[in-house]
Amino acid sequence: MSAPAPGIGSRLKGLFSQQYAWGIVALLLLLAVDVIKDPSYLAITVNPTTGNLSGNLIDILRQSAPVLMIAVGMTLVVATRGIDLSVGSVMAVSGAVSMQFLSTAPNTAGSAFAALGMGLGLALVLGLVNGVLVAWVGLQPFITTLVMMLAGRGIARVITGGQNTAATNDAFRWIANGTVLGFPVVFVIAAVLVAAVAVLVRRTALGTMIEALGINPKASRLIGIRPGGLLLSVYALSALLAGLGGVFATASVMTVEVSRTGLNSELDAILAVVVGGTSLAGGKFSLTGSVVGALLITTLDKTIVFLSIPSAATPAFKAIVIVAVCLLQSERVRGWLRGRRAGRAPAQRPTPPSPAPSHSSPVAGPGGEPATSGSAGGAGTAGTDNDQKAVNA
Amino acid sequence: MRTFTPLRKIAALAVTGMFALSVSACGASGSPADSGSASEQLTVGFVAVGPEGGWRTANEENIKEAFKNADIELKYAPATNGDQNSQITAFTSFVDEGVDAIVLSATEATGWESSLKKAQEAEIPVVLLDRGIEPNDESLYTSLIAPDNVGISTAAAEWANKQFPDGGNYVVLEGPPGLSVVNDRNKGWDATVESSLKKVGSQSANWSTEEAKSVFETMLKSNNNDIQLVFAQNDEMGLGAVQAVEEAGLTPGKDVKIITIDGTKNALTALAEGKLSFVAEYNPLFGEDAVNVVKKAVAGESVEKNIVVKSVTFDSPEAAKAALPDRKY
Repeated sequence: MSAPAPGIGSRLKGLFSQQYAWGIVALLLLLAVDVIKDPSYLAITVNPTTGNLSGNLIDILRQSAPVLMIAVGMTLVVATRGIDLSVGSVMAVSGAVSMQFLSTAPNTAGSAFAALGMGLGLALVLGLVNGVLVAWVGLQPFITTLVMMLAGRGIARVITGGQNTAATNDAFRWIANGTVLGFPVVFVIAAVLVAAVAVLVRRTALGTMIEALGINPKASRLIGIRPGGLLLSVYALSALLAGLGGVFATASVMTVEVSRTGLNSELDAILAVVVGGTSLAGGKFSLTGSVVGALLITTLDKTIVFLSIPSAATPAFKAIVIVAVCLLQSERVRGWLRGRRAGRAPAQRPTPPSPAPSHSSPVAGPGGEPATSGSAGGAGTAGTDNDQKAVNA
Repeated sequence: MRTFTPLRKIAALAVTGMFALSVSACGASGSPADSGSASEQLTVGFVAVGPEGGWRTANEENIKEAFKNADIELKYAPATNGDQNSQITAFTSFVDEGVDAIVLSATEATGWESSLKKAQEAEIPVVLLDRGIEPNDESLYTSLIAPDNVGISTAAAEWANKQFPDGGNYVVLEGPPGLSVVNDRNKGWDATVESSLKKVGSQSANWSTEEAKSVFETMLKSNNNDIQLVFAQNDEMGLGAVQAVEEAGLTPGKDVKIITIDGTKNALTALAEGKLSFVAEYNPLFGEDAVNVVKKAVAGESVEKNIVVKSVTFDSPEAAKAALPDRKY
């Protein structure tokens, strides 16, 4: 830092070299649209009756907590070339077990802690099952977590007997609806956990090891990284965070809806990860990016309601925004937008030594390393199909 | 490749097995028409919605119980997470199996024509429960048994008209777009509600308490809390709206009146506490009607096309308190 401080221009340039920069732009644009609709959108006031901070931004922060949790877990899983489709169901399971327990437990802080422990404990068990199946049995992450996704919802139903169990517990409710110094407790917890995970993976060699595993499993093995424990931990962490997300979601209304809680959350998490610039092919990941992605998705959901977009049109609106962000992130599209300078842009960014080319052109030719990963992908989808049928039958 | 060959084998085995079973089943039953079906136990396939909420659970339990009491074997096939595809698969396999009748609660109103035609070709009567199909081609099914959604939402709107003679702002919390239930509940409401009541928003909260809380919280903010009435199309969403109102520092029942449809125990409890203001029952207990219709249809007797299940409304805490003790769902 003894060198002359970088100008705002170069700092901006540095920011825009990050994939998630366009996520931030989209986020700001959405907020701008809201402000145009209602100039006081960003205002944060103190609610005269409850004494808490209140405002649309606070709502967004509160709402984003569960998405943040699962997006962070998903980022690490995706970085190892995996995917965790079970997070939504794990949310339902942890919510179900805590609500079922609280529905008969006394209304004390002690039972709230017990419920929290049970929810997180069960989520962790499911995550460990995922991890063992992926790391040591060697099943495809897609299949493993898909099975867990279907099984998890079944488990949630068994726990509550198919009912949407409601409960009363002030301490548990406080987790999702309470405030610390005016800020929503859920967001504070989520932020602390995200920071903790970030420190854990970035201040230790853990993050680099995960990236190495995702970029080239063989090479990482040759330099002495053991994949087993690493894979087990990322799946366990992902499920644990999802379990907490489930607690957030159910504590908010003190009801678990076995077929609704966490439904399609895995897709939100994957979107957040992709918008944040982490490639689904594994390798380099960005936790900051995923945080931006999670905030973007929540803001998008809230904006749709705020602008009173008709419910039939909401999926289309959401899709358009996400596609626009992904297009802007694409090197090629940005190249076209920049016109002549396009020729130089791809050359500046060295292509990572991952077998990415084999994905884009699987028919390029037989033989060698790339073909293996291509056929593995094929087996994954075919297996899913069979699986789905088996479950439906 | 190595990983998926066994899977494929298993799937192939399963399919062959099912085929063999269904063929043998056909062989066994032979020609059901002349073998005197009265002595044989009937088999009915139930293409159901599965866990969705308190109302649905009460409804499906009641149907299962009614068929059990009538000594009819009911094969229960709930949808996987409300997915229509899984329902169509279940429906088709019931037709292939050659059940005596099929009862169907469709998760989506559209897209049933070809499945229903298959059942018709196989001469299997189909009784629709609770949810109709669109386009409503009455020749495709035997009978539709359901409470009257249009009538129920009309009653809700009439109550709203009486409560707000000077008008006010209201919002609608809808179920997932495209369902016949949602369309009918909108139809009855929109046709009846006075123009002095102004609709300031209408959003889907997918029948969910959690989503309804989040949606209504934002609706309140975008209207500066200037909303006096909520028409929630099911109990769960209404209860979510109650929580959003409380979080905003307002009093449900006083500042914001909330109407819900279904009449589950949770909603009646909230009505008794004054948090909800009007609950219209959508009676789920029509298992016996379903049994009667199925029996008649299998015997070849004529049945009514449209059977309306009677429902009541609750407009005061007292009425709710009176009804609570023997509420089954």
